[in-house]
Amino acid sequence: MTETQELEQLVKREYKYGFTTDIEQEIIPPGLDEDVVRMISAKKNEPEFMLDWRLSAFRHWQTMTEPEWAHVHYPKIDYQALSYYAAPKSQEELDADAPESLDDVDPKLLETYEKLGIPLHERAVLAGVKGANVAVDAVFDSVSVTTTFKDKLAEAGVIFCSFSEAVENHPELIKQYLGTVVPKGDNYFAALNSAVFSDGSFVYVPKGVKCPMELSTYFRINAKNTGQFERTLIIAEEGASVSYLEGCTAPQRDENQLHAAVVELVALDDAEIKYSTVQNWYPGDEEGKGGIFNFVTKRGDARGDRSKITWTQVEAGSAITWKYPSCILRGDDSVGEFYSVAVGNNYQQIDSGTKMIHLGKRTRSTIVSKGISAGQAENAYRGLVHIGKTASHARNFTQCDSLLIGDQCGAHTFPYVEAKNSTAQVEHEATTSKVSDDQMFYLRSRGLSEEDAMNMVVSGFCKDVFNELPMEFAVEAQALLAVSLEGSVG
Amino acid sequence: MSRQGLPEWLSTALPDHAAAPQNLAQAARQQVETIGLPGLRDEEWRWTNLRPIHRGNFKTAQGASEAQPSEALPLENAIRLRFVDGALQSIPDDLPDGLTLVSLADADKATRTAAFSPTPTPNTDDPNDALVTLNTAMAHEGVVIDVAANSVIERPIVIEWLDGATDGAMSHPRVLIRLGQSAQASVIEQIESVGDQPSWRNSVMVSKIAANAALTHIALGLTGQARLTTERCFASLERDARYHSYNIQLGGQVTRREYDIQIDGTGAHSDLIGLMMPRGKQLMDTHTRIVHAAADTTSNEHYRTIADESGRGVFKGRILVERDSQRIQAFQASNNLLLSDTAEIDAKPELEIYADDVQCSHGATIGRLDEEALFYLRTRGVAAAEARGLLIAGFAQEVIDEIPNEALRGWLTERVQARLAQRPDATTGA
Repeated sequence: MTETQELEQLVKREYKYGFTTDIEQEIIPPGLDEDVVRMISAKKNEPEFMLDWRLSAFRHWQTMTEPEWAHVHYPKIDYQALSYYAAPKSQEELDADAPESLDDVDPKLLETYEKLGIPLHERAVLAGVKGANVAVDAVFDSVSVTTTFKDKLAEAGVIFCSFSEAVENHPELIKQYLGTVVPKGDNYFAALNSAVFSDGSFVYVPKGVKCPMELSTYFRINAKNTGQFERTLIIAEEGASVSYLEGCTAPQRDENQLHAAVVELVALDDAEIKYSTVQNWYPGDEEGKGGIFNFVTKRGDARGDRSKITWTQVEAGSAITWKYPSCILRGDDSVGEFYSVAVGNNYQQIDSGTKMIHLGKRTRSTIVSKGISAGQAENAYRGLVHIGKTASHARNFTQCDSLLIGDQCGAHTFPYVEAKNSTAQVEHEATTSKVSDDQMFYLRSRGLSEEDAMNMVVSGFCKDVFNELPMEFAVEAQALLAVSLEGSVG
Repeated sequence: MSRQGLPEWLSTALPDHAAAPQNLAQAARQQVETIGLPGLRDEEWRWTNLRPIHRGNFKTAQGASEAQPSEALPLENAIRLRFVDGALQSIPDDLPDGLTLVSLADADKATRTAAFSPTPTPNTDDPNDALVTLNTAMAHEGVVIDVAANSVIERPIVIEWLDGATDGAMSHPRVLIRLGQSAQASVIEQIESVGDQPSWRNSVMVSKIAANAALTHIALGLTGQARLTTERCFASLERDARYHSYNIQLGGQVTRREYDIQIDGTGAHSDLIGLMMPRGKQLMDTHTRIVHAAADTTSNEHYRTIADESGRGVFKGRILVERDSQRIQAFQASNNLLLSDTAEIDAKPELEIYADDVQCSHGATIGRLDEEALFYLRTRGVAAAEARGLLIAGFAQEVIDEIPNEALRGWLTERVQARLAQRPDATTGA
């Protein structure tokens, strides 16, 4: 096969999660004003402090301007043309009386998640299918559909539920932690999210508890012309540890859809949070039409001494990705890690990276970022390593590598390094290259097909990151990468 | 975000006539009046605060002066051009064949147009480029250095910038350097303060290097505590041209130097080498941008900073490889030593790449002295303070060693060592 043919094949790859679910939904009509914010809050039966919080975020948002510094281009978003709340109807009825079992959930929804390969039946685990031993919270458009394994988790004292349930059942925790990592006015999209977020996941791991299973949230955008604004809050008390996975897909539509999420992590003394994402929102078609605008604020606060926060992400979807999972290393000896593979194809644009803010003594951070660009994609790493005055003996290592496949794409690196302490040690290195002819020739001479050879080189390139993913996700990520780059030999 | 516009003292200083062709000067004047000076919110200035300039109330100085540099550079037969507070003192007459020097004010219109049309072209709408626009609006002094094709000028051309002869003096000089095909020359900037009161020089140097020509450009920021300098150097390279830049910064309160290199011809190469040693309350900032606009071109960049006391070092380097510029090799390294907890180093090495057959890399490190190397020296009987001194000097020396002039290397080595010997905490360890 010639290179052109292969590239053609590459750009023709299809998005396999592009179906829509025909389900009756309750949607708030498009538009955004204080009434919409009030309506969302009312629908969620929220206590007053939540409404006040939302309104103050909304008022702040109105004074802000959309950021333009990222290396991405897109038509202006009309925030009044979006709908800010969409819920499957059946769920509406169930709200008063939360589903005790999956039998109460609309079978169409279950079918959707079945198609996506997400096991919502707890018995599926017993049958030993893929995704074993993972508790799942499924979020469909604006609301959480179901959360599995709640009982088993409760035994261990772990709270894992939708954000709405947490507001209802654990308002004291929400009050104590919400917005303490990503303040409501943090940035344009975070402020918008704070005003209109509809659901998300909440995790609380009490002191000394090691969460007995992987937790997972599966986000699905289904409705047309809606934005998805979910909010996740994970708290690990002293000595607790938890591993959390997140996956996302959306139907294939010609219009761009906005997804502006906020994720806050809080790790107290000796706590450990591992947050993994496989992001596969609809990326748009081969002409760059449609696709999700993924404008996400993720930040972890390693508040306690010896705490640890690890972000691992495989970014394969979305028309535009704008996301910088960050760590504030506040506790002494705290550790921050960021492992990322970002794959861009067709007209995808990615501006992603991390911030490591070192404040505590002997804090350490590691950044490994692997960017792959193919087609006409633009892939940028943007990161900050800040060593504050108080962060004596802080240490950072950063490696950003970019791989270019084809000559119409772009790979960029914009790292900021700031050091204010003389005992700091910061190393940053970045390389950009293509898959070399020598590598390909060698593998071909060993009898590998061009495609297998390419896959092998690319997997090798990403290995450092995949090694950090929980096993179930590592397999999925590998497969996703292979599909994304199918036929891209060159 | 509404912009402030120019401070009033600067706005009133804008002249009706400048050396730039009337249309360019006029447009620049209007632009800069609306845009004002760059601020911390402008991306290229996030680490460099121009407040000392904002509230400086500087005035364009009048008339010549008897000012002298602190020391003459150890260069035989140098051709010296002296600017006192931005005013060109005189043009030497015994020039070698192939070299022409003309005061900017006396240059013809085509030449002046060239001096105010640098490549890469700055964006007059962009606040980040406001100081170039300001220079276009203000410049009335400067010099044009022309080297004829195939001429090799052996004698170094020294431009002495003597700032602050008049208290509170400001200047906006512009220099044009043109090398004809296969020509060679070296230009050395000697930057000094001759007074102890604040001064501000905002200069622009435009180099146009024709095919197979080679320009060596050395900048030496030497004395001065209250000197503010904002300098921008443009260089465009045609086929197989070479540009070798060395930038050593020791003095000045705020020094901001920017290099914009446009590699337009295949086979061309650019070197950007630099050493910054901020201490006291000095801020030393170098921003570089290299555009690989042609295939088979190479660039090499190596910057080091040693920040001591409350000094602040800023380095930003961008490498841009344009689409279809294949077979590029571009390397960039920024290594920084932080010697005190009140010092600060900020670095931003950037790659922006639109072609696939490239080998590009950058590395940035910030750290302190290698404990093992210190230990090794101590086991050899070297006292702690002396061992530190040796390692710091060695770190600086690796940059100085790259300067292609032996006499200058030795002279700079002495200067750097003398400077390090003054470290107040040389014996306590930082």
